Formats: sequence, structure tokens, C-alpha cells
Amino acid sequence: MLNYTFDWSVIWRHPYGGWLLEGILITIQLSILAWGIALFLGVIIASLRNLPQKWVKAVAAAYVETFRNIPLLVQLFFWYFAAPELLPYSARQWLYQNIEPTTLSYYTAIISLSLFTSSRIAEHARSGFSSIPKGQYLAAFSTGLNTLQVYRYVIIPYTIRVFIPPLTTEFVTIFKNSALAMTLGVTETTFMSQRIDSYTFHGLEATIGAMVIYLLISLSVSGLMGFVERFLYIPGLIRKR
Amino acid sequence: MSKNNTIIEIKGLNHWYGNFHVLKEINLETRRSSCVVICGPSGSGKSTLLRCINGLEVFKEGDVIINGKSVSQCFHNHKELYKLRSKFGMVFQHFELYPHMRVLDNITLAPRRVLCLSKNEAEKSAMALLEKVGILEQAYKYPANLSGGQQQRVAIARALAMNPDILLFDEPTSALDPEMIRDVLKVMADLAKEGMTMLVVTHEMGFANAVADEIVFMEEGNIIEHDDAVTFFKCPKSNRAVEFVDRILVHI
Repeated sequence: MLNYTFDWSVIWRHPYGGWLLEGILITIQLSILAWGIALFLGVIIASLRNLPQKWVKAVAAAYVETFRNIPLLVQLFFWYFAAPELLPYSARQWLYQNIEPTTLSYYTAIISLSLFTSSRIAEHARSGFSSIPKGQYLAAFSTGLNTLQVYRYVIIPYTIRVFIPPLTTEFVTIFKNSALAMTLGVTETTFMSQRIDSYTFHGLEATIGAMVIYLLISLSVSGLMGFVERFLYIPGLIRKR
Repeated sequence: MSKNNTIIEIKGLNHWYGNFHVLKEINLETRRSSCVVICGPSGSGKSTLLRCINGLEVFKEGDVIINGKSVSQCFHNHKELYKLRSKFGMVFQHFELYPHMRVLDNITLAPRRVLCLSKNEAEKSAMALLEKVGILEQAYKYPANLSGGQQQRVAIARALAMNPDILLFDEPTSALDPEMIRDVLKVMADLAKEGMTMLVVTHEMGFANAVADEIVFMEEGNIIEHDDAVTFFKCPKSNRAVEFVDRILVHI
């Protein structure tokens, strides 16, 4: 039957425990950095799609559709393997000589993750903006507020409440998507669990360890965002959790 | 009608949405302290007309003169446009209270940010207004926790908080339950009695009959008839107005 001796200590024993811990830190770092950039880019892209100029709208729409509809793994490969080939020879030389391969893969992963996620956030932000009744603008403008004030006091605070729940989903998703960075050799959680497997042949324990780690991260992020939602709770706008 | 008693003067106003000619050569004068009811079938341009008057809609042709000041001149100067709008109070069919602000903050936002009143001052006059519209006890609630009639009265208080020269009502009772309509109409009738200049788009012919000084009947972007209220209801001149009044009165 099953001829397998469990050795759960591969999860914490020296040096494996240290590897996993380093992996967790990189997962968190990578995700939060990419998250910050994605949020920034996403909101800007959504705002551009809200502008009246047709060509600006078209460019922003093309951005969203491109990054949203190509698998993240393909995008990672593109930025890591293909995009540098498009650079002039001298720039490529400089890149490979002056930047450590691990640093390069780390930043490539951040760029890919943030571009991919920003397109999704842009869609949520756009539907957030468009869910605001037109009458809110009319009401605010009718009292003599200027455009900046209308956005600052009425439209944006309103939009944020509509926007937070899908944002939570994306925040949890980016931690899970960050596992794909291992394909570029980024030493994040999944990479480390595979490394423990190849050193100890205890892949079962290492992988289950990684699974539990992702589960805990996801649950804590949801919990944290739940707290933010409660903080921003307003009758009739955000559902109480 | 002496000239200096005119507060709103609309001259040859035309407006289009794309190719759709929504307002056709509108001419209208309104005296200070009068209550004008604008009625007519939906899609006749009533709401658009209101929004042209306070500069929410940038109309294409003609002009609106408010207190001797040209609205179209303000289109090139945003500061002037904001100032013009602040002289109006506007009340909407769907209330349009800011859902993320308490009732009190809904009312004080513009007085604080536009008139630069202190928080204390603004809140004091907001409370007085809430008392006037009869919902003082709702000051610290959020709009979603109020009934429709209460929300609309908050909206009226919000419009009054800017101390406007003119109040514009865009179907203020169309989204309300019948028993709440009365409360709102009562507040509006009181305001008219106090001498507030009011333009009211409404289908409430009872209100028009009892409160309005003048009735404007619109259809397909034209003013078909403009009379004092008594004449309009007793002997309307145009066939369309006769039909409209009949249909609405039968409905009541």
C-alpha cells in the first residue's frame, strides 16, 4: 500500500524553514508592490476611459483589453524572454551585465503582475464610476461646487464604496497569481516549496505547506479588507459583513 | 409687468441633443416671487429647460438672463458659471442626496465649500432649515435610512441652504408614495407663500391649481401655452392643453 513516511519537519527544519520563510516574504513583497502599482495604473486608465476625447478612450480601452485577455503566464514570458529582444543591442548588453538575473526576474514579475492586474482594476473602477447616478453630478454642480470639489466630496467617496468589494477580490487574487513568478525563477513561496521537494523528496509536505500558507494569506487579506469595508460602511451602499 | 421685476428672461433659447432638437425657440419671462408650474407630456423638454436656466446644460442658441446677467456669458468663465449655479437651488425627482453623508452634511457641504461658512454656522442654519421642513430629528441619519418624503424634504433643505434667489423643482413628487407627496407639496406651498421664486416641473395639477401663479405648457420642445393659472384651468386656449388638462383631471 502507501509506502511513504511523512516528515513534516521539512517545513521548518534548517535550512528548509528559512527558505520557506524567505519565500513567504518575497510573495508578500511582490504582491503588495505589484498591487500598489496596479491600483495606481488601474485608476488612471479608468479615468482616461471616462474622458470625452475619443482617441484617449480608445487607447485606454486597448490597454485594458490587451492585458486582461492574455494569460498571465504568457505575459510573464513575454516580458522576461521576448521584450528584452526588442531593445537595442547595447541596452540589452547593459541590462544583462549590470543587473543580477534574480533581480531582473523579480522586477519582471512585478511589472507583469501589475500590468495584468491594473487592467482588471481599471474595469472595476470604470464600472464603479459608471454606477454613480448622473443626478449626483447634477445635484452637486447645481449647488455651485466646482469640478474638483464635486469629485473630491461627492463622486470619489461614493465610487470608493462601490469599488471596494471587487478590489478585495483582486487583492486576494494577486497573491495567488504571484505563484506564477516561480516560472521566472523568483524565489517566492511556490518556488521554495518545489526546491524543498528536490532536496528532500518530501514534496507532499512542502506543497501542502505552501497551500496552507496561501490559504492563510488569502484569508487574512479578506479579513483585513472586511475591516476596511466595515470602516467605510454606509447604510445603503456597502453590505455589512 | 415692469422690467425690473423680471428675474428670469429666456430669449430665443434653442438646444439640441445630437440631432434631436429638444428646445425650440423658447421665450419666457418670470417675475420675482412668482411660482411657475411647467407641465406637459414627458420628453417635451421641461427638465432640460430647467437645466438650461441654471447653467447645468450648456445650451446652443439664445440666452437666459438672470437678474440682468447673461448665462451664456458664463459658459466661457467657469468661476462665473459656478457662482451663477450657486444662486439657484435645485430639487430632483430622485432626490440625489449624497448617500455617504449624513443628512446634516448633505446640507452643509455647499455652504461650507462654496460660501466658506464655518462648520458651526453652516450646521446651525442647516438645523433651522431641517426644522422648517419638519424633519429636525433626522439630522444625524444617513439618507438611506429615511423615507422618500423625508429624503425629498432634506433635498429641499439642501437647496435652501445656499440662500438661493430661485428654486428649481424637477418633478419633485414623481418618485414618492402618494401619502408622502402631501408633505413635500406642503413645504413647497409654504415656500411659494413666503415669496420664493419657483419654477416647478410637475404633473401635480392640484398643486398647480392651488399654488402656481402661472402655468407653462410644453410639448415637443415648444411652449404651447403660457397663462396665469386661473385662465389655464378655466379656459385653456390650445387644444393640446385642453386635452392634457382633461386627461390629468380625469386621472385625479
